[in-house]
Amino acid sequence: MERILPDGEVFAISGSEPVLFFPVRHHSPVCSYQLVRTITAYAPDCILIEGPENANELIPVLTDEGTQLPAAIYYFYKDKKHYIDEEEERDYACYYPFLESSPEMTALREARKRGITAKFIDLPYSEILIHTKTAAGLRSEQERHSYADDSRLAGGLYYQKLCEKTGLRSFEEFWEKYFEIRGLRLSPEGFLRQMMTYCRLTRDSTPPAQNELDGTDSREQHMAYRIREHMETYGKILVVTGGYHTPALQTLMKEKLKKPKLHKFPSEEENCYPIAYSYEAADALRGYASGMPHPGFYDSITKRLREADSPEGIYQEAALHLLTECARECSKKDLPLSIADVTAAQTLTQGLAALRDTPEPGFAEIADGVTGALIKGEKTASSSLPLDVLYKLATGSGIGNIGDTTHVPPLILDFEKQCRKFKCRIDISLPQETKIPLFSAASRTGSGLEKSRFFHRMRYLETAFCKCIKGSDLHGNTDRSMVYETWKYSRSPQTDAALVDHTTDGTTLMEACQTAAARQLRTQRRTEAAASAAVDCFLMGITLTGKDIPRTDEIIAGDGDFFSLGMGLQKFDMLRELRALYGFGDAANDVHLALCYHKLLSLLPSMANVQPEQAGDCIKIMRLLYGVTGRTFPERQEDFKEALISLTLAPDKEPSVHGAALGLLYALDTAYLTKAEGAMQGYLQGSGEMKKRGAYYLKGLFETARDIALSDRRFIELTDLLLAELDRDDFMEILPSLRLAFGFFTPQETQVIAERAAALHGQNGRLLDEQALDEALIAFGAQLDAEIFREMRQLS
Amino acid sequence: METNLIKPPVELRYADELAALKSSDTGKRPENWQLSPKAVRTFILGGKAGGRDISRKFYGNDALVERCIITLAGNRGLMLVGEPGTAKTMLSELLSAAICGKSTNTVQGTAGTTEDMIKYSWNYALLLSKGPCREALVPSPLLIGMEQGIFARFEEITRTPAEIQDSLISVMSDQILNIPELGDDGLVFAKPGFNIIGTANTRDKGVNEMSGALKRRFNFETVAPVRDVRLEREIILREAADLARAGHIDCAPDKDVAELLAVTYHELREGVTAEGTMVEQPAAVMSTAEAVSVYFQTLCHAWYYGSGKMELPVLTENLLGAVCKENRDDLGRLKSYFQTAVKAKGMKEGGIWNEYYQTAKYLR
Repeated sequence: MERILPDGEVFAISGSEPVLFFPVRHHSPVCSYQLVRTITAYAPDCILIEGPENANELIPVLTDEGTQLPAAIYYFYKDKKHYIDEEEERDYACYYPFLESSPEMTALREARKRGITAKFIDLPYSEILIHTKTAAGLRSEQERHSYADDSRLAGGLYYQKLCEKTGLRSFEEFWEKYFEIRGLRLSPEGFLRQMMTYCRLTRDSTPPAQNELDGTDSREQHMAYRIREHMETYGKILVVTGGYHTPALQTLMKEKLKKPKLHKFPSEEENCYPIAYSYEAADALRGYASGMPHPGFYDSITKRLREADSPEGIYQEAALHLLTECARECSKKDLPLSIADVTAAQTLTQGLAALRDTPEPGFAEIADGVTGALIKGEKTASSSLPLDVLYKLATGSGIGNIGDTTHVPPLILDFEKQCRKFKCRIDISLPQETKIPLFSAASRTGSGLEKSRFFHRMRYLETAFCKCIKGSDLHGNTDRSMVYETWKYSRSPQTDAALVDHTTDGTTLMEACQTAAARQLRTQRRTEAAASAAVDCFLMGITLTGKDIPRTDEIIAGDGDFFSLGMGLQKFDMLRELRALYGFGDAANDVHLALCYHKLLSLLPSMANVQPEQAGDCIKIMRLLYGVTGRTFPERQEDFKEALISLTLAPDKEPSVHGAALGLLYALDTAYLTKAEGAMQGYLQGSGEMKKRGAYYLKGLFETARDIALSDRRFIELTDLLLAELDRDDFMEILPSLRLAFGFFTPQETQVIAERAAALHGQNGRLLDEQALDEALIAFGAQLDAEIFREMRQLS
Repeated sequence: METNLIKPPVELRYADELAALKSSDTGKRPENWQLSPKAVRTFILGGKAGGRDISRKFYGNDALVERCIITLAGNRGLMLVGEPGTAKTMLSELLSAAICGKSTNTVQGTAGTTEDMIKYSWNYALLLSKGPCREALVPSPLLIGMEQGIFARFEEITRTPAEIQDSLISVMSDQILNIPELGDDGLVFAKPGFNIIGTANTRDKGVNEMSGALKRRFNFETVAPVRDVRLEREIILREAADLARAGHIDCAPDKDVAELLAVTYHELREGVTAEGTMVEQPAAVMSTAEAVSVYFQTLCHAWYYGSGKMELPVLTENLLGAVCKENRDDLGRLKSYFQTAVKAKGMKEGGIWNEYYQTAKYLR
């Protein structure tokens, strides 16, 4: 060890050195424990901590008595001036999580307790990003980043050899055995020496070029400068940084340092906020590689260490507690485990610790104890429940809380207020489920619709807070009769982060949704999208006021797409229908409905030549127009009729649209029956291609006016006559389309039509009940008849 | 003991290592254990004992071995479960030999195993002449284990009918075996050091489910197949060398053939080749033990019928015999493996893989 550490490296903590470096691993209980002892022995007058310095204002918030951990600082930076990417403007964000076991939090709390200065000394978040040269570190391709990333310390090249040499399965097992458990029994000096040795070896095994690429060098230069700056004011400075940086900082302190040049950004472009964090997100195995795994377990160790006089027996107690909890949870999940099972697991855990020369069992031994004693039978995905439960318990399910709300974004405060009002549990990260009776009367906890609107607002803001698993789908216009909504929800750091991202959108959820919806609307060009936005607003119970209403008008006016307008008509019509039921509505929607209707009427005649693959959608809109005319615009019936007539007069009409138009005209005025019959005659008596189109014509006709075949016998007679005139080949060719056309009738209606058609040929409708004859069999019969006749002829 | 044996017991085979460990062992030992838990670990996983190298005998999961040792020091039995051919029996023998100095105190579970075989039976001639007395009693391995404070191994426990398995419950709960025929002298109390190591297959046909009551009296350890091809190759070479030595076959093992076989078994077991091509897994058990058997057969053929050099056509024929046992479709799966994976490796790497591919014609 002496060979690894530089000559003259000092570890005498009680000395009067102006600077003492304390390397840590993020969220490490032993680092926190030894840090407190070091602070007591060294008695610094200033503590400098690794952390983006633009969050220095938030230190009192983090150490406030009302703040419950896990909490985090949420940093964001919007690269509007293209310092990072010359082509693309991107938004960046990251978390800096704090747990009970975080040495950084311990340092902040100790400083507050002793009334001494504590500061973050790392580059501001924006500068870290700007100094990162590649898509590495905080700029790597991840959804969210953690500032406190220990991957260098835990994932260096050095650790693999170490695990091999010590016969341990993973770095975590190595760290737990040699640092977390054995480290508790060392003096602060001894621990510091061990940490420094490990950190220097890890640093030496990392290629220096990597430190330049991910901005580590720039960060360390800045931290070193800040330390030297503080040395002018303070006599004894304790520097708490990630272990990976400590060797480099010690070297830099001996060099000449330049004053850092920092960019200045307005608060809309760069800022940071304190937010509640969860254990689940803090777990390095599940979260953002932010430190140690099993944060719930290690936080319980830290709490026990804080309360106990000696570290002896702490892990033993925690192991027994965890095993008991594990057995209890398994029993709740229909896997009864007895006290004898827990005892066996505990015995195994302790025995393994002794065999592995670990003073007390750590999490590795607990997991082994559960594997050996609580899993009955072969270890498979289904039999591993005890192990799954153990990991879940070790992760923890709690969510923190920010005590001093001065710096908490008002949007988060409003969210918490709403959760309290609607009695939504947000103190745990386990998903909760709630069933909302939409139309229940208002009570102390608000009405069903109010609660539903709260969830829809949270969904709209993309907070990952909730998901509707049952309920009507107004966007798809399905399940509208459902009067309940079922939501699953859980608060997570993403929820808070998303709300922080919307901070500039308003101080309440309602305002934020209005701003976000208006912003989204501004980017839309199609009526369909504008109508979807209107549905979102309806579900959220918000109206878009001011300049945005004309904007929707403009979208509709500028939209020449018949189908987009048709979707808009359907949605605005639905919102008009639901207004009374939901007791809410935006009067502007009626204006939009009328605009869509008029635009569609003007475009309708041009749809005569629509492409065959769009004919189905076109007919749906025509039917919708018919419905809306009757319900909302009866005074425009003549205009609608005229539009339909214009359509029927166009050349080269799409046959099903033609049929649908005549069907609708028949529905408006039965005098159009003759026109419909005439058109059918034209199709079915035409050339081969026309005959085929005739089947499509009937399909369109029956789609809009199927009663034409039921109420008017003459129509059946004419159809029969025309079909009978077709030769076999022509009939076979159009048969599939005819089948499709008659598919719009219910089985009962088909029977009625069949009976009428059969009567025309002196048959009854029972013919349909008979089994269809095989074509080959008929051919065989005909051949047989011919043979018999031939034989008979020969025999005279 | 006679040393010229087909398969000498572990305590005989590794007598030198066990003696070295015993003489240098300073660790704490549970009562009646021959070695301390740490020395047992060294015996199975390898290391040093008083300057002497101790060979590694079990590969794969070191933590599993540690759990097994600690379980055996407690009051629960140890049940090793897993697919056939995953060295459960070997581990059980190693543990017994290291801890008790005896790995042969064994009950072999079959469908015909009766309660007498598990508890005790009688020498009927003596029983008739002297009546029920200790002299006429024929103790089972379980009874021997209880009286001597050593382990009783119960092989293939799940092949035994469930009601017969359950006869272990009272012994494991109370550590007492009652022999009512002997009257007041019929209570046999287990001495410290007694425990039971069971093994059970999870994939074979003809296995019985264990009762919940019996399961509760065991700690279970699942022994998984070796997932590392290089390790599997080493195991094949080492085991085949041991078998060859015992059979006085002085034929040099071929490392390339061992590699070929290890890759074949590994890829067929995992259902995917090293290149990422999906291959259909045979229904047959593709265990390392089976691979050792195929390799050793090929070695024997080379020694007795060949030039002393292992031949690939013989290897392929032996492979065919090992894989296509129960399921008719396995032949197609093996052929398909040769046509896809072996062919591709032959084209890419040439050499022995190409020769191996040429032997596909023997798959019929």
